[in-house]
Amino acid sequence: MLPAPRRGAAAPAAVPYCYCSPPRALPARTKYRPPPEAAPQEKEPVRYANLMYDPRVVRGNTYALQVIPACTHLDLFEIQRQREARRKALARKRAKEQLQLTPEPVEGREHVHVQTELYLEEISDRTIEVDTECQTDAFLDRPPTPFFIPAKTGRDVATQIEEGELFDFDIEVEPILEVLVGKTMEQALLEVMEEEELAQLWAHQRAYAELRNAELAEVQRLEEQDRRYREEKERRKLQHMQMLQKQKETTEKIAAWAFAKRYLTDLIPSVFSNLRESGFFYDPIERDIETEFLPWLMTEVEETLEKKVLGRMMLDSLIRTVVEKRLDAFSQEPQSGQTEAPAEEPGPIDAAPQEADEIEAADLPVTASEESNQPVAEEQLSRRISFQLEESDQAETEELETE
Amino acid sequence: MASTRISAQLPPDIDPTKAPIAFGRRALPKLNEEIQSPELLTQQRALMALCDLVHDPEKVYQAIQIGFMENLKNLLLHHDSTVRQKTTEIFCIMAMHNVGRQGLIQKGVIPALAELMDDPVDICRKNAHQVFEMMAKLHEGAADILHAGLIPLLMFKLKSELNEIQELILDTLSNCLRVEASEALSSGAITILKEKLTHSSVTIRSKAAQVLLEIGTHPEGKIVVGEVIPVLVSLLEDTDPEVQASATGALMFATIKPQGRFSALGAEAIPPLLKLVAGETSKARLSAIKTLTMLAELPEGRRKLLDHTDTFQQCLNDPCEAVRRAAEIAIRVIKWKP
Repeated sequence: MLPAPRRGAAAPAAVPYCYCSPPRALPARTKYRPPPEAAPQEKEPVRYANLMYDPRVVRGNTYALQVIPACTHLDLFEIQRQREARRKALARKRAKEQLQLTPEPVEGREHVHVQTELYLEEISDRTIEVDTECQTDAFLDRPPTPFFIPAKTGRDVATQIEEGELFDFDIEVEPILEVLVGKTMEQALLEVMEEEELAQLWAHQRAYAELRNAELAEVQRLEEQDRRYREEKERRKLQHMQMLQKQKETTEKIAAWAFAKRYLTDLIPSVFSNLRESGFFYDPIERDIETEFLPWLMTEVEETLEKKVLGRMMLDSLIRTVVEKRLDAFSQEPQSGQTEAPAEEPGPIDAAPQEADEIEAADLPVTASEESNQPVAEEQLSRRISFQLEESDQAETEELETE
Repeated sequence: MASTRISAQLPPDIDPTKAPIAFGRRALPKLNEEIQSPELLTQQRALMALCDLVHDPEKVYQAIQIGFMENLKNLLLHHDSTVRQKTTEIFCIMAMHNVGRQGLIQKGVIPALAELMDDPVDICRKNAHQVFEMMAKLHEGAADILHAGLIPLLMFKLKSELNEIQELILDTLSNCLRVEASEALSSGAITILKEKLTHSSVTIRSKAAQVLLEIGTHPEGKIVVGEVIPVLVSLLEDTDPEVQASATGALMFATIKPQGRFSALGAEAIPPLLKLVAGETSKARLSAIKTLTMLAELPEGRRKLLDHTDTFQQCLNDPCEAVRRAAEIAIRVIKWKP
C-alpha cells in the first residue's frame, strides 16, 4: 500500500490523492461462516481486529521474502513437481555427505550396500509417497451426498408364498386361541370364584350366626328358667319356714292355753273360798251386829265393869280404911301376929285385882270373912260374874278375832 | 431429558389413567413414592394402579410392610374427591383380606376413617362405611370400633343417610353390638330402630330387626327390646322371609325375660310363629321353634300350644340337626307338668 498522504499537508488545491482502494482498518472476521439461510444481519457495532493477531499480516523478516511470481496461478501438478525437485536436491546433498564418510574400497572390490538385518528392506531412491489433499471450495457448501444406490449385482430371483402353503391358519391358531381364551376364562373364573367364595362365606357365617343365636337363646332361656325355679324354691322354702314357725307358735299357744285353763280352773273356787274365809262375803246384818252392836255392847260392858271395878275399888278403899283403922286400933293394943296378916293383905290387894283374884278370894274369906262376908260374898259373886263375864268377853273377842 | 416413553403416541390398549407399574418387588415402593408427590395427577394415577394391585393378598401384605398405611391415612384428608374416593376404595379392598384387616387394626385406620363420615361425596362415605362393616365382623375390629366411640356417631348418621349406607351402618351396628350394647342404649338406639322397623325398604327392615336381636342378647337390652315387641310381632307377617327371620330372632331373645313373654303373648305372637314353624324351608324355623319354647313356659302359652304339638312332631324329621333338637326341647317344655 502506498503510504497515506498526510492530511492537511501538500496542496489542498491539487488533485487529492486517491487510492485504488482506500485504506481502511480491517474488521475482525468471524471464525465460521454464517449459516447459509441466515437472514442478512442487521448493523452491528464494527469490531476491529488487532493487527498483531491478524493472520493476513506477513510475519518475519522481509528481506528473504519469497518473491511472488508474476503468474501466481499455477497448476497443482506443477507446484507438486517443484516441491519434489526441492526435496530431491536436499536428499542428494545429504546422501553425498554420507557417502564420503566410509573408506574407499580395495582394488578389485566394490563396496556394496548390504542389508544385514534380519529382514530385508527394499530401498529405493524414491519412497513411494502418496499425498492426497482435500479441500472444499472456499465459497461453496458441500452438496448433499447423492443417495447411494449400489450397483446391482447378482441375479434377481422371485418367490411367492401362496395361501395355505406355509401353515394352515385355522389349525395353527388353535393353541394360541386356546391359551388366550383359557387365560381370559381363568381370570374371569377367578373373579367369579372370589365373589362366590365371599358369598359362600357370608352365607356360612349367617347360618352359623343363626345357630349361635339359637343356642344363645336356649342358654339364656335355661338360665332364666333356672333363675325362676331357684326363686320359686326360695319362696317356697320361706313359706314353709313361716308355716312351721306359725305351727310352732300355735302349738305353744294351745299348750299355754290348756295349761292356763287347767291352772285357772282351781282359781275361782280357791279365790272364792279364800274370800269367803277372809270374810269378804258377809251377811250384812251379822256384820252390822258385829260392827256396831257389839262394840256398843262392849262399851256398855266396859262401863258396867268399870262401875263394878269402881265399886270394888271403893270397897277396897273402904276395906283398907277399915282395916287400917282396925290396925291402928289393934296396934294400939298388944301387937300380935295379926299385923303380918293385915300387912299382907294390902299387898295382895294392891296387886292387880284380876291376878290376885284367887288369892283375894282365898285371903278375903280367910281374913275378912267375919266383917265383910256379904260384901266379900258379893265381891266373890261379882268377881265370879266378872270373871265369867270376862271369860265370855274373851270368848267373844276370840270369836270376833277368828271371824 | 430421556424418558421411558419412546414415542409421543402411547401404545394402544393401555389405560392412561393408571400409573405404569414397575416390575416385581419394585412396584409398590415406587407407587408409595408417587403417592407422596405434590402433583395431583401423579397421585391419582398411582392410586388407580394401587387399587388394581390390592386385589392380591401378597401385595396387601407387602403394602402394609412398606408402610403404605400412613400415607393413605394422610390422603384421606385430601381436598380432591377422587383421591379420597380411591383411597377409601383401597381400604375397602384391603379389608376383604385377613392380612389387610389386621393391618388396618394395627395402624389405627378406623379413627381416621371416622372423620370421613361427614364427607360431601357419597361414594367416599359408602366406602368408609363398607370398611367399618368388614372390620366389625372381626372381634378385634368390633372392639376397635367400640373403643373409638363410633357407636353414637353411627346412630346419629342412621337418621340422615342414604338407604344403601343405612344398610351398611345397620350391619356394622349389629356386629358391634354383639360385643357390647350399653353405649348404643345410652344414645337412644331403640327409638331410631323402631322407626326403621317400619321403613319401606325390605333390607333395612330385616337389618334393623337383626340389630335388635343383637341388642337383645344382653340383659339390659332385653328390657329395652321388650318395648318393641308389638312391632316385631307385626313384622312376623311380613312378606319377605329375611324380615321374618330377623324379627323371629329378635323376638326369641326378647321373650327370655318374663315381661317380654307376657307382652308377646298379649300381642298374639303365637299364630304367626306357628305358621313359620310349619313352613318347610323357612329360614326362621329354628328361631320360631325357640321363641315358642320360651312362650311355652308360661301357663297360658302352654295351654294354647298343647293343641299344636303335631307341628313340632313334623319338625322332628327336619334334616338340620339343630331344628330337631329344638323341636324335642319344645315338645318337652310344652308337656311339662308342674
